[in-house]
Amino acid sequence: MIQMKEFSFQYASGKRPALKDIDLEIRPGDFVGVIGNSGAGKTTLTYAINGIIPHYYPGDFYGSVLVDGMDTVETKPEQLAGKVGSVFQDVDAQMVASYVEDELLFGLENFGVPKDEIEGRLQEALQRTGISDLRYREIESLSGGQKQKVAVAAIIALRPDVIVLDEPTGELDPESSEQIFRLLKSLNETYGTTIVVVEQKVGLLCGYAKRLVLLDQGRIVMEGPVREVLKSADRMEEIGIHVPRVVSLYKELVRKDLFHGAAPIHTAEAEKMMQEVLS
Amino acid sequence: MKGLMNYFPGDTFLHRMDPRSKILFSLLICIACFVTNDLYVLLGVFVLDLLIGVFGGIFKQALKLLKGLLKIAVFLFILQALVVCTGEPAFYIGKLAITWDGLKTALLGVLRLIDITLPLALMISLTRMSDLSNAMVSRWHVPYKYAFAVTSAIRFIPVFTTDLNGIMEAQTARGVEFDTRNFFKKVGLIVPLCVPLLISSVKKIETAAMAVELRGFNLRTKDSSSKVAKFRLPDYLLLLLGLGLIVLTVLL
Amino acid sequence: MITFEQVSFGYIEEGSTLKDLSFTIEKGSITALIGANGAGKTTLAKLIRGLIRPTSGRILFNGKDISRMKTSTLAAHMGYLFQNPDRQICKNTVGEELDFTLEKTVPEEAERERRKAEVLEALQLDPEGEPFLLSRGERQKIALASALVHRPELLILDEPTTGLDYKECTQIMEYVKILNQQGVTVVMVCHDMEIVLDYSDHVIVMHDGRITADGLTRTILRDAKVLAASALLPPQIIGLSALLQADGYTGFEEVCTVDEMTACVEAYRREA
Repeated sequence: MIQMKEFSFQYASGKRPALKDIDLEIRPGDFVGVIGNSGAGKTTLTYAINGIIPHYYPGDFYGSVLVDGMDTVETKPEQLAGKVGSVFQDVDAQMVASYVEDELLFGLENFGVPKDEIEGRLQEALQRTGISDLRYREIESLSGGQKQKVAVAAIIALRPDVIVLDEPTGELDPESSEQIFRLLKSLNETYGTTIVVVEQKVGLLCGYAKRLVLLDQGRIVMEGPVREVLKSADRMEEIGIHVPRVVSLYKELVRKDLFHGAAPIHTAEAEKMMQEVLS
Repeated sequence: MKGLMNYFPGDTFLHRMDPRSKILFSLLICIACFVTNDLYVLLGVFVLDLLIGVFGGIFKQALKLLKGLLKIAVFLFILQALVVCTGEPAFYIGKLAITWDGLKTALLGVLRLIDITLPLALMISLTRMSDLSNAMVSRWHVPYKYAFAVTSAIRFIPVFTTDLNGIMEAQTARGVEFDTRNFFKKVGLIVPLCVPLLISSVKKIETAAMAVELRGFNLRTKDSSSKVAKFRLPDYLLLLLGLGLIVLTVLL
Repeated sequence: MITFEQVSFGYIEEGSTLKDLSFTIEKGSITALIGANGAGKTTLAKLIRGLIRPTSGRILFNGKDISRMKTSTLAAHMGYLFQNPDRQICKNTVGEELDFTLEKTVPEEAERERRKAEVLEALQLDPEGEPFLLSRGERQKIALASALVHRPELLILDEPTTGLDYKECTQIMEYVKILNQQGVTVVMVCHDMEIVLDYSDHVIVMHDGRITADGLTRTILRDAKVLAASALLPPQIIGLSALLQADGYTGFEEVCTVDEMTACVEAYRREA
């Protein structure tokens, strides 16, 4: 679905490359979590997928980025938009309308969806995100979690193959954050939508993502299935990435030679690990 | 905070009318008020304004607007009453004569101000901005870019207000005396805060621009809108009423 | 340090209200305010700071009713870090930013310079740095620095770690901890239960404008019922120890951290 080959990018205003020598393949149906410290290049990676770079922010672009076979340099962002839907960090700023319904209509109308199909697509998107009851609400009156769902609904109304999200739970409480990730998971499992999500809360992410990409200073340090990456928890700590506590526990138990299995990705798995250790 | 230019949701016949006819009607009233010098016509229009409030289910809002206008109106009334000094004197303030002509001109001026402001403000309260811009783009062929710029600007007002209040609060917490009662001092303290406000606004607008572009802004044409505005009988009647009013004022 | 006596805020018709809150925050403590979005945490923090005034009830700061004090006067005694650092920062350089706070709160010139140097050093900030060219994490540090440079008695932090990576987060919280050890009382609104567990000693749980629990961090975070009722999740290790208890293992009742858990496992295996 997405292929990056020897891809590097330096913003015209930047002093050093934001991303360097990126080789990454994301297959259809993947659920990829992108982690890393601030300044590691996470947002730039999302910009590379949706065509914001090089089209919106100019700079030095090396290598290639292909989305469903289309070269992002040669394809206009709005053409890519049919394939890739984007949710930005600042959810308030990315809203175009005052009402939920209009927010969804904007994209549908722009992309010339036939008028007799619009109503169906609109209802489908609201239903898939579980916000059918918010259709006529004013966006200003919604909670942070609800706004985030509206942003996702406005994107999936356009039926993209890939959704790219930049810290969608940044300002949400734990319960709303879980809700957003449950939503992403259901889109991924039920409709096969490929998900690429940047997230600081590694503990949360590990419970949902299938793969992790760990960036540090513009380079991919680790990439692979969640469990594989978590095995190198030491390396993550070294870089300064939050390691979920159950993984720290796992590491401790392995170090003391008490456990030899795979790393747990959430508490339920940690429970199984403990049962084994205690038996 | 529900201020001027805010949409008040509802389902009255005024809400359902074509946005264009509502705006045109307000403009026709404006013209009529400028043309006429007849006190009774202006009073009639004033009643009409209040009726819009009643039929639109926003009478309370209309009164609130009126209250706001009243301050300016009183100021204007006094000013005009003092300036015009032809005709019979009505009474004296010290040596200054206040004439009947002056009072009449002042009253006309004030009524005119209210009659012109109210319909447009009320009609906008009864119209969704997106419907208005859609109608202007698809029917009047206003370039979408301009219509979008205007609607976005209006949409961003509450966002910026929240931002400014947040900034003032943050600075108060650091000991800036925004809790002073001195108005001029307060203004003086607000001005330097425009820098953070501007910076956060520029960031927001940049994100907004990217988001809009990725959702096909450039692909939009005048026929993109799925809601098509259409003149129906009430629209024609409303416009007829507006035109009738102008004819009446010219004849009188 | 802070006492709330039956404090209510807001009007019922407007929805966002705090209802009849009474509690005390002890001098020298680090108290975390936790709860779902919209529970009233930020409103409570602003009440403590005097940015908004209660509709009924009294708030005492060191025994004095704060409704009798001007918000700007309270600045010398309290520091407040806002959720969004960009609303706080208004000067062109880090140094000027700190001076801005100091000139209103600390009268002596020498003392100002001393405090500024100390904070710059502790948070590794460059006084010539231009805030708006720096990253979100750096700006958060600058905002924090300007909130505490005058060494207030009480420091109120509204989500100090939102938008920061783990490294920046630890750096900020470690400094807050040091200040606390030097006698500064801290109140923080926080969503991250791991940070609440690691750094606070007291917790006030809020739900729907009311306080649903108030007590020691380790006690409250182990109370699954209270957390669930307020739409909160326990920190991972506490959640895990609860699961183990439910499975019938004993000896895990007090476990909160990774070290405690490993120690418990070893003890358990020795016994077996």
